[in-house]
Amino acid sequence: MTSVTSHSGKAHAGGTPALPAPGFLSRPAPASVAEGARHAQAVATLSPIKWFGVSGALGALAFVTFVACLGFGTETISFANVATLLAQGPFAEGEIQNAPHYIILWQVRIPRVLLAFMVGGSLAAVGASLQALLRNPLADPYVIGISSGAALGAAVAVLFGIGLSMFGLSVLPFYAFLGALVALLIVYRIAVSYGSFSIHTLLLGGVVLNAIFSALILFLTTLADPYKASGMYAWLMGSLTGPDFSTVLILAVYLFLGVAVLISQASALNLLTLGEEAARSLGVEVERVKRVLFAAAALLTGSVVAFSGLIGFVGLIVPHAVRLVFGADHRLLLIASGMVGGIFLMLADTLARTLLSPTEIPVGVVTALVGGPVFLYLLVRQRRSIVA
Amino acid sequence: MSARSETLNRQSPFVVDAVTFGFGRKETAVQSPVLKHVSLAIASGEVLGILGPNGSGKSTLLKILMRILVPQQGRVELFGQPHDAVAQAEIARRVAFVPQETQQAFPFTISEMVLMGRYPHHNRTWGPGWESSEDRAVAMQAMSDLGVAHLGGRLITNVSGGERQRAVIARALAQEPEVLLLDEPTAFLDLHHQLEIARIIRRLNQERGLTVVLVSHDLNLASQYCDRLLLLREGEIAAVGSPEEVIAGESLERVYDCPVLVDRHPQSGMPRVTLPV
Repeated sequence: MTSVTSHSGKAHAGGTPALPAPGFLSRPAPASVAEGARHAQAVATLSPIKWFGVSGALGALAFVTFVACLGFGTETISFANVATLLAQGPFAEGEIQNAPHYIILWQVRIPRVLLAFMVGGSLAAVGASLQALLRNPLADPYVIGISSGAALGAAVAVLFGIGLSMFGLSVLPFYAFLGALVALLIVYRIAVSYGSFSIHTLLLGGVVLNAIFSALILFLTTLADPYKASGMYAWLMGSLTGPDFSTVLILAVYLFLGVAVLISQASALNLLTLGEEAARSLGVEVERVKRVLFAAAALLTGSVVAFSGLIGFVGLIVPHAVRLVFGADHRLLLIASGMVGGIFLMLADTLARTLLSPTEIPVGVVTALVGGPVFLYLLVRQRRSIVA
Repeated sequence: MSARSETLNRQSPFVVDAVTFGFGRKETAVQSPVLKHVSLAIASGEVLGILGPNGSGKSTLLKILMRILVPQQGRVELFGQPHDAVAQAEIARRVAFVPQETQQAFPFTISEMVLMGRYPHHNRTWGPGWESSEDRAVAMQAMSDLGVAHLGGRLITNVSGGERQRAVIARALAQEPEVLLLDEPTAFLDLHHQLEIARIIRRLNQERGLTVVLVSHDLNLASQYCDRLLLLREGEIAAVGSPEEVIAGESLERVYDCPVLVDRHPQSGMPRVTLPV
């Protein structure tokens, strides 16, 4: 790298007289990279310290929220009591294991609040990834029809009873995964075919896709016997009711895998927000990265929908809020959205359990009532900023 | 010895041999191609301007060089290697691409945008990866070269078109490329910023021996700032040569299908194009 002088322009062949250089060009630039390094602290970027700091702090906040949510429900358990019972561990011996509060805490509340955390976190991480992939800050697995694709996959499996279990494990998530993958490929096709930046085409496509999948699910339920059908309706509204520990553990494996894959592609996601062409020009193997992201997003959405039905807008509002606080870098955005999404759904589910206790509101209703208006607000603001 | 004459002895960055490209499926693509049997060698250290009417295949040719698009027929060599034998990241370490317009829906800062240029240099076996101090130093250098260092903390969504375009060129420089490809770098800029970008490109070429290939609609800017021009018409090369050879009345009238007046720029003496009344 040669040093910059204001005379160099005159050396050019072809008789071009040097034009007076603009101010910043005539200023001698640092002669070497080493000298540039002295200014390097001015280039603010994400450091591992910040990453671990933020993730750790949000993790701690999630744990506090988790413990706090355990006390609430039809039967209120005091915080001191929650702490004592937690300290006993899941395999307590003697009298305490038959105490009602111990049973409620370990067999009902803990699996449920854990499920809420994992489902919320996964939906938020998927939302953030889809937004980058589709270059659209309003993308959400529920709004653009990925979740209903997964629901259709699961509904087909349930209503026709195809291979519901294999080696004693439910294969419902697998069918939901297939449904989510098909929906994702269709939505991606719609988003790309109208150029790089058509927010409204994507949303309209998603709405129509949602309508088609919902119609197919309703059609299938009318074929099913009424008992199965009413269970289907409850599940479709989004519910975190009644998981047992083994369900939560299986789900944890799927979800951990999916989120880890998404985070491993965070730098590529940053570049994909520039569009496929620009990402490729910066060295991203776009086709390979897309395949990995599609698979991970479908795995997460499929698993979540198979266990807890349709819960919307978590993937929209959580990444949006996190971006406002921590910026757009997906290395931090994904993990932070995961934590905040988990916290958000634990709170929303606690609200759903306690508001009309002993009746439960489906948690999908709570998230839609909170998230829907936020979505509309963002849509209007988005439109204004594009027109301006 | 100046950087310029040193680089002239180096290997040709690009050799394009009988390339045919069309959009869509292979059969239809070859029947109505956007580029037809285009052959071209780009010399190390030159500024090559690609000109032509709308739809003549200018941007397509540039994207083929970057391997954003892959031709159905013919071959492209990058520094003597067949294009398809080189990994995308390896191409990105030697060639940088500045697109016509950069739209960004997400609130990245200017320094985050420029640091994206370091992506092809990262060694990612696992995980998202962190920038090294070298990455930050290179990015800082690129930002001060383009005069956007003071904007590092600003959001890309909140700066002017000229500042955004400079940030994107800084990102390209952060790739530490040997070749810079620009797709109408001044298309959306006012006169002041057009001149500024043109001078920056000229300077990078002169001082660092950076090979530059730029697509432009602006015949006069190209005439002023390019060593060599390539005129495309309906996917074929209509003329190639120095600005004096290419910016000539009859070839322009044939290619653009409209009458033009060619005289001399009062300062530089280079050909200048105006439209008759």
